[in-house]
Amino acid sequence: MSTAKPASNAIATLPQLHPPGFAAPSDPLSDYFSAENHQRALLNILEDFASEKNGLEHGLRAVLNILDDFDAERARMQGAQRAAINILEDSVAEKTQSEAAQRSMLNILEDASEEKARLELTQRAVLNILDDFEFEKAKVELTNQQMEKEIEERRRIESQMQSMNTELLAANKELEAFSYSVSHDLRTPLRGIDGFSLALLEDYGDKLDEDGRDNLHRVRAATQRMGTLIDDLLSLSRVTRTELILKKTDLGAIARSIALELQKTQSQRRVEFRIADGLQAFVDPHLMQISLENLLGNAWKFTSKRESACIEFASTRRDEDLVFYVRDDGAGFDPAYAARLFGAFQRLHDKKDFPGTGVGLATVQRIIHRHGGRLWAESAVDKGATFYFTLPNTKHGGGTDE
Amino acid sequence: MNDKAILLVEDNADDEKLTLRALKKNNISNEVVVARDGAEALDYLFATGAYTGRDVSVLPQVVLLDLKLPKLDGLEVLRRVRADPRTKLLPIVILTSSNEEMDRINGYGLGANSYVRKPVDFNQFSEAARQLGLYWLVLNEAAPARRG
Repeated sequence: MSTAKPASNAIATLPQLHPPGFAAPSDPLSDYFSAENHQRALLNILEDFASEKNGLEHGLRAVLNILDDFDAERARMQGAQRAAINILEDSVAEKTQSEAAQRSMLNILEDASEEKARLELTQRAVLNILDDFEFEKAKVELTNQQMEKEIEERRRIESQMQSMNTELLAANKELEAFSYSVSHDLRTPLRGIDGFSLALLEDYGDKLDEDGRDNLHRVRAATQRMGTLIDDLLSLSRVTRTELILKKTDLGAIARSIALELQKTQSQRRVEFRIADGLQAFVDPHLMQISLENLLGNAWKFTSKRESACIEFASTRRDEDLVFYVRDDGAGFDPAYAARLFGAFQRLHDKKDFPGTGVGLATVQRIIHRHGGRLWAESAVDKGATFYFTLPNTKHGGGTDE
Repeated sequence: MNDKAILLVEDNADDEKLTLRALKKNNISNEVVVARDGAEALDYLFATGAYTGRDVSVLPQVVLLDLKLPKLDGLEVLRRVRADPRTKLLPIVILTSSNEEMDRINGYGLGANSYVRKPVDFNQFSEAARQLGLYWLVLNEAAPARRG
């Protein structure tokens, strides 16, 4: 743009018609009209004009340059502007994107906070569970301790029971050996006493008087009673020794067959047996047969002085228990002596009236006890007797455990 | 009635005398060989000890065997008799005081042919002897004698 300067100088110097470096003529007119001078002046003017034109051209060119420059500048500016717009556009897109991103970030954050809340909740729950767990653990530990104590106690009891069991087994074995010995050895001398008493009676009876023969008969009777006692005692101990084998059993059927046998022994007697139906029980049939033989046999025996009698076998309900009973209308007994009824060899009646060894009810009691039941009796003298027993393995209504 | 011997294995002298009396009373006239313990019973049957030289092929018609015996008890005698081919089929009646379940189970288990309990009452004992004689000496047909 330095080319603009000469143009302004040319305009400023225009009124000066004489070229610089020429001295003004002393006589202007004469000088003025001189041809040479005039030509020269014209030339100067032309020269000046040319230079002026040059300058102007310079200026114009400069302006054009400037304009050119300006255009380029403008294009550049436009480019820049476009770039800026692009940038702006980009930035807007960017911004939208970033906004979306931000929004999604926010969403994520929101989600995250929800997640966090949830996590916190979960954590709290877990903590609660842990708390509970601790509590539970403490409880379990306490229970464990108690259980350990119980186990220890149980072990102690078990070892105690084991040693008791060993003792019991030893005692049982001893009882077994004792019974075996009684069974073999105690009866043999009795056979001798009886046999040789009879031999005396048979071979020398005619040499004895009535009293002598009577004495020998008494020896034999006593011997045979002793034999019966030993047998009863052995059967009593067998009740304890034999294994209990529980089965669903019809007690009524057993009672009916026993009643038939009893009626056969004294067919002239008028005895009515009332045996209920459905007397089912879960018992050892062999041992219960022995029990019922004794109870019904007693009823038969103690009604023997009656012209006619009634013997009943049935069951009833007392409180929660199913109670079986054998009832007769015979001699009965004084309830004051009821406690002695079930002891071995205890008798409440005269042998002459009612024979027996006094082992029967002791045997019945052992059998009922072995079944976990109870046995008791109710009676009054001459009012008959009722013997009750329970069998705990037998459910109510005659149903059975199996 | 058969004239073969009866082997009575009995350690009690009273029971021996009573058994002999009961047999006699019932007109059982067969010879009765008495062994007073288990070992003696086996000696008789296998012709050993005091019975060395006895003809082993001659066996008693029936053995009345008590269980409680000195030396070898009745069950052991039974075991050995059944284990030997010469006496495997010999009729053996256990005649004893006890009726213990275990004795009966073991007796039959070892191959006894019969089990009779000696009653205390001599009349009953005598009746048992009569029936035993009738059955084992008259009714029952023993296994044929072993040859060779």
